[in-house]
Amino acid sequence: MPDLWGIAAIVAKFGLYLGIFTAAGTVFTAVIFRLVRYRGVACGFACIGLVSALMSFFLQGAMLTGDASGLSDPEMLGLLWQTPSGTALMYRMAGLGLLIAGLFAGRIGLVGSANGGVLAIWSFNHIGHVAGQNALLLDLALMLHLLVAAFWIGILMPLRRLARSRETADVAASVGHRFGQIASVAVPILIVAGVYMGYVLVGSVSALFGAAYGQAIIIKLTLVGILLALAALNKLRFVPGLQAGDESAARKLAKAITFEWIIVLLILATTAVLTTSLTLPT
Amino acid sequence: MKAILLAGLVSIWAVVASAHSPLMATTPANEATLAEIPTEIALIFKNNIRLTRVTSAHENGDPMKVEISSQTKFATDFLLPFNGVERGDYIIEWRGLGEDGHALNGSFVFTVK
Repeated sequence: MPDLWGIAAIVAKFGLYLGIFTAAGTVFTAVIFRLVRYRGVACGFACIGLVSALMSFFLQGAMLTGDASGLSDPEMLGLLWQTPSGTALMYRMAGLGLLIAGLFAGRIGLVGSANGGVLAIWSFNHIGHVAGQNALLLDLALMLHLLVAAFWIGILMPLRRLARSRETADVAASVGHRFGQIASVAVPILIVAGVYMGYVLVGSVSALFGAAYGQAIIIKLTLVGILLALAALNKLRFVPGLQAGDESAARKLAKAITFEWIIVLLILATTAVLTTSLTLPT
Repeated sequence: MKAILLAGLVSIWAVVASAHSPLMATTPANEATLAEIPTEIALIFKNNIRLTRVTSAHENGDPMKVEISSQTKFATDFLLPFNGVERGDYIIEWRGLGEDGHALNGSFVFTVK
């Protein structure tokens, strides 16, 4: 088991993923589907991302000394700043800052926000197990994986809100339908990119079942499987039902999306453990 | 729904292992038994690391900091002074930063008889 600092680091990482992906995804879907009322959600989650990014950085200082002194030790933090941890923090603060600023500058600002979201997601290319491999194809796979994940997470809240009100049910049907069309291309890309990264990082099927890292990947894959089943249900049953004007379909869609959210949170939590405290099998 | 969430979290927790430990070898070796108290300890890592904190603790005492202020570079091999006081079990705990920005830590034990 990790020590107290290790647990705090996992919590901060979870907040970082939740904040960045939800904020970025919210602005991505707002641009693509011309959605309204995105500002509060995007701003709130961007703030969660900012706070978590800073927490994550200072907690790494504490990991270096093993006690609270590292949280504010200038030598430790200066050392961290020079490594990819510092670079990633810089991208995250710049990206999320741009994302928040753009929210207050109309539809044009929203495009700036989306770029900020990409920049914040780009930060993950500079740190972690994938950065350690130093391969262009892996960077590309990670970027595609994360952008699609953000896009997917970003549709959940607006679609649920639209589906829950009778006045916007027809908008929900149209947005849900168009999302389904894009997702049927994007989600296979997410999965292929994820499996490719897992294969390169873990290396063998025996390592997948033997090591904790591999087991965490299996948990993640199982959760993704459940998420896919829910998404398929939405696409093939509830959204067509909504398009046909079936009111119970709207309720079921909203319920299914709530469930999707829970699975997404579990996936992000698994990923936080995977990337924070588990060693790659050697 | 809460039960599902809880079950999921528990199963995630179950696979949480110890933090990164890329230590290749140590002198004394882990779980070694020595006849005399060593005056130096050596840590050899697979990849470059910057040591940030090393402590040694005797079974009857509190952890004491091992002097690492002269170790200011990323390296794989470290030779550190060791001030043992009496026979018994010692645990050495180390922390450091990998060049990739990952915080690393681990420990090893030895006995002086």
